[in-house]
Amino acid sequence: MIFEVFARKARGEPLRHIGNLNAPDAELARVYAFNTYDEERWFDMWVTPREHFIEVFNAERENGDRR
Amino acid sequence: MARTTTATVALDDAARSATHDLILALADSKRLLGMRYAEWILGAPELEAGIACASMAQDEWGHARLLYALLKEFDVDVERVEHGREPDEYCNMAALDASPDDWAGLIAVNVLCDGALSVQLEALRTSSYVPLRQRVGKLLEEESFHAAHGAAWWRRFASASDASRAALHDAVQARAADVLAWFGPDGPIARTVLDSSVADGAGSTLRERFVERIAPLLAAADLGDVFTNIEPDFAGFEETRRRPAGRAPDEATIRRIRGDRNREFLLD
Repeated sequence: MIFEVFARKARGEPLRHIGNLNAPDAELARVYAFNTYDEERWFDMWVTPREHFIEVFNAERENGDRR
Repeated sequence: MARTTTATVALDDAARSATHDLILALADSKRLLGMRYAEWILGAPELEAGIACASMAQDEWGHARLLYALLKEFDVDVERVEHGREPDEYCNMAALDASPDDWAGLIAVNVLCDGALSVQLEALRTSSYVPLRQRVGKLLEEESFHAAHGAAWWRRFASASDASRAALHDAVQARAADVLAWFGPDGPIARTVLDSSVADGAGSTLRERFVERIAPLLAAADLGDVFTNIEPDFAGFEETRRRPAGRAPDEATIRRIRGDRNREFLLD
């Protein structure tokens, strides 16, 4: 399962997408995200399964249809 | 070079010696543990697990470095301790003597050995020996992700298949007695450590805390009685080195740990 990783540098800043990883479950995804992306000083970090994202629209798809 | 500071003056001779031994046992165990993690940076079942091993190896080597440095307060030649000892002089947990030969073994080391070291560190949070007390919080903070890694993989082994569960059982059985014995007997050294408040637990107290800590994982793998059925055998156990006499870590690992091949590049 692919997980997307987000973090921010300081309280109040917007979450930034910083990468993704493969993990079989949420528990290992947490660990792998920390091990892989904690080189920098983050204020907080989040992971979510990619499949939980809900697309709103995509300008490049099918003549920019916004439904 | 006698350099006794206020940190050790407060301890009497017996407590001072017990504290030195405890720090060395922790440092050597962490150095060996770092090596065991490092051996799996290449060859772990997933890329992310290899990265986790690299990260945990770095943490353990950093902790070992910090702990060895504390020995300066005990008039110890730290340079010799780090780079000049033979395998039979090491004071590491015996369960770390050999390299795990499969991933189940590495996960058993992750949960049991790393877990046991953390139980010992927890007992130093309120230590009367200030340099230890000041550093232990930071070490334990980094350890929380090691425990999470071990627990997640342990549960995978326990639930994936009969074969994976059997591999975990074998790996745990092979190390259980050494890990339990590592906390040591309730002898004079344990007494000294407690009486001087260097740690808030020793010997059987720490053994019980350890078993309690891993009880949910043991239950998840139907291993609930593995540790309760073992009566630690302290015949031939060296209380000061916290390991059985007559056994030692493998020579090749110690050569790498000492940095034998790079000796000429060693800088102060």
